[in-house]
This record gives sequence, C-alpha cells and structure tokens, in this order.
Amino acid sequence: MSRSSAETGLSLEALADAADRANRLQRVTDRLAEALTPQQVLDAILTEGLRAAEARAGAIGIVSEDGEWIELLAQRGYKRPILTEWGRFPVSAELPMSHVVRNGEPLFLESLKARNELFPNLEGRGRDGHALAVLPLALEGRILGVIGLSFGDDMVFSEERRKMKITLARQAALALERARLFEAEQAARQRLAFLAEASELLGSSLDYEQTLSRLAHLSVRRLADWCSIDMVAADGSIDRLAVAHEDPDKVKWALELQERYPPDPDAPHGVSLVIRTGKPEFLPELPEEMLEEAIGDDDVLREIVEQLGVRSSICVPLNARGRTLGALTLIAAESHPPYTSADLELAIELARRAGTAVDNSRLFQEAEKGANAARALAYVADGVVLIDGSGVVRHWNPAAATITGVPEEEALGRRVHSVLPAWESLVSHVPLVGPDEALARPVTVPIVLQGRELWVSASGVDFGEGTVYALRDVTDEHALEKTRSDFVATASHELRTPLAAVYGAVRTLRREDIELREEDRLAFLEIIEDESVRLTQLVDQILLAGQLDANAVQIDLEPCDPVQIASGVLESASLHLPDGISLRVESNGVGAILCDANKLRQVLVNLVDNAVKYSPKGGEVEIRVDSEDGECQIEVADQGLGIPSSERERIFDKFYRLDPQQSGGVGGSGLGLYICRELVERMNGHLDVDSEPGKGSRFTVALPASG
Amino acid sequence: MLVVDDESPIRMLCRVNLTAAGIEVLEADNGRDALELIRRELPDLVLLDVMMPDLDGWEVARRLAADPKTREIPIVFLTARAGEADRRLGEQLGGVGYVVKPFDPVRIGDLVEEVLTRIEQGEREALRRGILDDMLGSP
Repeated sequence: MSRSSAETGLSLEALADAADRANRLQRVTDRLAEALTPQQVLDAILTEGLRAAEARAGAIGIVSEDGEWIELLAQRGYKRPILTEWGRFPVSAELPMSHVVRNGEPLFLESLKARNELFPNLEGRGRDGHALAVLPLALEGRILGVIGLSFGDDMVFSEERRKMKITLARQAALALERARLFEAEQAARQRLAFLAEASELLGSSLDYEQTLSRLAHLSVRRLADWCSIDMVAADGSIDRLAVAHEDPDKVKWALELQERYPPDPDAPHGVSLVIRTGKPEFLPELPEEMLEEAIGDDDVLREIVEQLGVRSSICVPLNARGRTLGALTLIAAESHPPYTSADLELAIELARRAGTAVDNSRLFQEAEKGANAARALAYVADGVVLIDGSGVVRHWNPAAATITGVPEEEALGRRVHSVLPAWESLVSHVPLVGPDEALARPVTVPIVLQGRELWVSASGVDFGEGTVYALRDVTDEHALEKTRSDFVATASHELRTPLAAVYGAVRTLRREDIELREEDRLAFLEIIEDESVRLTQLVDQILLAGQLDANAVQIDLEPCDPVQIASGVLESASLHLPDGISLRVESNGVGAILCDANKLRQVLVNLVDNAVKYSPKGGEVEIRVDSEDGECQIEVADQGLGIPSSERERIFDKFYRLDPQQSGGVGGSGLGLYICRELVERMNGHLDVDSEPGKGSRFTVALPASG
Repeated sequence: MLVVDDESPIRMLCRVNLTAAGIEVLEADNGRDALELIRRELPDLVLLDVMMPDLDGWEVARRLAADPKTREIPIVFLTARAGEADRRLGEQLGGVGYVVKPFDPVRIGDLVEEVLTRIEQGEREALRRGILDDMLGSP
C-alpha cells in the first residue's frame, strides 16, 4: 500500500498520484459492480476501498430500519474484534459514526487529538489510532449507513483526498442500495413463491385442520422457527390446532406447556388479544430488557422464554366475512432473523388466505351436511315435507312425491296450497309440536289426491322458521285394518244367529205356560243339536280363517297318496249320507303328491260336504284323481244345483254365501271355500270351480306331484 | 203378522211363541217372497231379519215405505247386527222396534202386543224415535 505524506501543487508526481487514485477508484467501482448481496458489497468496499483510500482499517455500520440504531456489519484491518465489541449502538450516541449519520456530512479527523476534541467521551479509547475519516453512505438524502476509515498516521485531508473518499462512499452507497433492492426483490420473489405454495396447500383439501397443520410446518421452514395456529371453538374458547418447530422434542414441550397453561381468552396480549380484536400484533424485536422486565422473578416463565428463544414475533388473525376464526403466530427465535414489516405483510396475507380457506371448508361442510341429510331423506320410506314460514315448499323427498303424485321439481319453491290443494284438509288434522316436545301420535286422515282416495298418516313439528311434516301412505294398512274389523263384525254376526236359535229353543222348551206339541219339542231339540254343531264348526272355521289371515297356519308338506286320502274322506262321508246320494272314487293310478295330508283331508271333507248339501235332489258325488304334467288333480263333482257364473269367484270370498233361492236354502258359515282355497294355495296348489247351473259343480284341487 | 228370516230355526221359534200368544203367523224365508206376501196379505206387523241374501231387510223396509199401500205397516227388525249405526239405520227406515239376536222368544208375543197397542194409541212416532229394543234382553 503506497502512502503519500505531501500533496502539494500539480507536480508530475501529484498528477501520477491522482491517476493512481483514479485507477484504484475504478477497481473499487468494478468490484462493487460485481457484488450482488449487501454483504458482498460491504466486503468489496472494505477490501478495495481501503486500498483506494490508503486507509489502514475500516468498518461499515448500517442504520436500522427504524433509524434508531447503527449496527456494525463489516470491518477490515482492526486488530481488535470491533464488531462484537461495538455490535450496535444508538444513532443518538456521541460517537463519530452516530454523529455522521445524524448530520449526513463527512467527518474528517486528521489526528487522535482532533477526535478527542470533538468527542471528549472517547478520550483514552483507540489510543493507537491516528487520522479518521467517517463518511455517510447516503442516497437521495437517505442515510443507509456509515463507513469509517482509520489511517496509520495523522493526516492532512486535502480537497482531492476528501473528494476521492466522498466519491468512494457515494459509490458504496449506490452499490449497497442496489444490493438491497436486489435482496428485497429476491425476498419478495420468495414471499410470492411461498404464498403460492401456501395457497396451493390451502386449496388442496377441505379438511382445514389438516391443511392448517401442514401450513404451520411449511411456515417453520420458511418464515419462522416456531409457528402455531389457534382456532376459536364454538364455545368461544381457544384451541391450539397446530404447533410446529423443526425439533419434535420442542413441539412436545410446547404442547405440554399449552396443557399446563391453557390460554386465557381475556389475556391482554398474544393470541387472545389478536382473536378478540381481529388485529395483528407485531413485535419486531424483543429487547432483552423488555423480556427481563416481563419475566421478573417467574422462574417457570424464564425457562419458557429461554426455551422458546423468542427474538421477534408476529401474530395475525384468521379473518373471514368479518369474523375472526383463529390466529397464526410466527416466532423468530434461534435461527430466523427478527421480523420486518415485509414479514408482517406476508403474514397478514397468509392469514387472510388461511381464513378464507377455513371459512370455505366450513361452508362446504355445512352444505355437505345438508346434502347428506337430503340424501338420507331420499331413501326414507316416509314422505318428508318442509314448509317454510310463508307456506313455500322447501323440501319434498321422493317418498312425498310418490305419496302425493307431485314430483319434487314441481313442488319445490312453490306455495304448498297451489302444489297440493288437498294439503289444507290433510294438515288441518295434524297436531303440531315444538322441536323439543315429544312427537304427537300421527293422525290418519283420508284425502283425495288426483282422483285416488288415500289414507295418510301424518305428524308435524313446528321448528319456528317452518314446519316439517312426515307423511306415510297407509291406504293398504287401512284397507287391511278395515278387512280385519269387518271380519270381526261379520264373525260376531254369524255367531249370533245359531246362538239365537239355541237360546230361543231352550227358552221355548222351558215354557210352562204353554203345551208344546211333541213334534215341535223334538224339532227344538234337533235345532239345539244342529245349531250347536254349526256353532262349533263356525268357531273352528273363524279361528282357522283368522290364523290363515295372520299367516299362522303351519303346513307340513310331505309325500302323500292322494287316492288313499280321497278314499278315506268318501268312506267317512258315506256314514251319514242323505237318501239319493251315491259316492265313488275314480283314479288312474296316480303317484305320491307333496302336501299336508291333514289339510288336504280337511279340504276334501269340505268339498264333499258341499257337494252333498247342494245336491238336494240326490245324484252322484264323484272324486276323480288324475295326474298330468307333474301335477295331480283331485276333482269333486256333483250333479246338484250348480253355481251361476257371476258367483263363481265370489264363493271363495270370506263369509260369502249363495242366495238361498240359488242354493236351495242350504246354509253355512261362508268360510268353508275361503279356507279350502287358502289351504290349497299354501300347499303350492290351486282350487278352481267349473259349473253349469242345474247340472252340477266341479271343484278341482291341483297339487304338485312329489319329487 | 209376518216373520221374515232366512234361518228356519228362527222362524220356527217365532211361529211357536207367537202362535202361543194367539197371533196368526205368516212366514217368508227371503225378501222377495216377503214383499209379495205383505202386499197381498197386508199383515198388522212385520218381524224382519236384516241379513238375507239378495234382497236384505233394509231393502225390504225401503220398498215397503215407498209403497202407500204398505208404508203404514209397522216393522220390527230382528237382526244379528248389533252396531249403533245399524240401529240408527233401522230407525231411519221407519222401524218401530229393533231386536238383537240372540233374543228371548218367549216374550216376543208381549212385544208385538205392546207395539200394536201403542201404535193404536198414537205413539208411533215416539216408538220410532225411541226405537223399541232390548225388551227381549240377550242372555
């Protein structure tokens, strides 16, 4: 390094010197142009700049964002570790660098004495120092930093030298600003990339708890040492959704901490404050003194603060549609630099997107819940109809459409009275209950819908904003119930007649005031006997018919010989045969059939009985057993009164009886043929009749052959 | 008087007991024969079963009421139908008595006498409105 102790006049030597300085300055400019990052710029300024300025050592301090501090970031040539010794110091301090930053003017101190005159407080410090040049790194009036140059000797700073150093400082400021802009642009780019990545993550799933938890982990790598996300629960309490740190042990510790110290929703700072106010809380730097003051004597808190290592923190609300759903906290601790306002902006933007994602996810879940309910209602057999407060149909499930015959698309959004004019008459009978009351018994109401008479069972719940009705088409059940009650009524009527005969006969026989003729007395006794038998049969048949209706008759199918059964029936019938009737069995060698022998016997007894009863003028009753196509046919034929064709199906109805004009006054329970047909059908067969009035009837029992 | 019932034991009970009370009894076992007999014989009273095939007792009563020749003939229904609705129908169709089976045939003569007496005394409407029943009380 060359030194010059005299700068006088425009001597050749001086011109050569000037050329040399210009060359050095050019080298500095070249190096600065190559430097990209602020640190590279600082390094370039010091390596080349010291040489150009003929300085022994130099240091650069950068003014903090808030303009309050100067931080020494680079040095070269000092024997002492001045970066750690000085670190940072206030702009307000009585120091050469602070002085220059405050005034914005260069300071040239030609000797230690000159320095101590200006800064008496430095008397005794930097004893080995000599001349000192301190120059602002200024750009358009802004002071970015300050460069201090120390020289090996006392020195006279000529105008030339001063200019050269001012030029150097200006070059350095320009390069520093350029590097800073570059760095800021890089950072902005990274922020945008991070936001893009975070947005993609938030949009990747509707499970917001999972995406927020992943977002916390993503943030830990890029934005923070610690990241936590807290959500407001339905009851207003604060739930920690996620805590992320690169060290799983630390996460575990933080979660335990949360257990031990659950957040106080009324706390005057942190997550609680942010959630309450919906406004960010930004602590760019936590000065040691402030922490110490906050900790006080609380050892537990001290441990927590030490473990966390908090340097700086940002807590931003997750807002959506005017509500605060939670908060995102970023903490810069051991590795992340303290936060700047750019970080705060990024955090706000990130939280805004996360809030929207949570809101969307919740809206979707609500909609999904509604859709699920609708899906469930689509499969419910009961009609479900929701009418809002103004009488408009809001829900009309497929069962409601089936019952009413009005499709969902015609009902939705329309007034129920125009959808279904019969609605009023239907629901006017339905007692409404509140949502928390026990459901009233459904009311069964007849309504006429599109020409059909329906019986509808309906119940309703009034939930304030509307009414929901459950409807069930009970037309079939109602018809069945009517059949059942008709049966009971008819059965009781049927029992009254023989009872009247028995009771009346007994009452008459016991009369002492009159003398009964012998033939009348015998006739009454016969009535008592006959009607008692009839009553017994009637009761048996009513019981059997009831069991058939209730499907409670057990049928035991097994291979049987139909000819043997038919012969047995004829044999017992022949024991009390009226005059003029003859019986016979015909068969062409039929194999076994699958049936319940007792039930078949019962059927044949009934058919033969009828055949005899309806042959008042005598004749032949024949049972013919044939087989054809795997089916066995047992015919019971008579030569009696026959049945008009109009009556042929009705004779199988319960309690149906032929007109005595047509039946020759033959009575019966009206259940016999009904029971016969039911029994045969339960044995997988069928019973039919063919007849010619006046010539006789032919009942055919067809049953499947065995095997 | 006329007894109409498709059950011969019931007709016989009525015949024997009414004859014992000195009442002359005609019988019909179906609605058509009954109408024909009534129009021809114009009995003082008809004891009419309801449930008969083809032409039932209700229809017989309707036709009697529609015919000026027969509309004054008092009808006492004799039926197994014990329901309230049936009773009201009997009243509407102009019945002056309603006897539910089973009944006590021993007192049927008294019933007929009472109905006829009260009608003679001009109480026909009172009888109809308070349709006479239960006096033959079931067992």
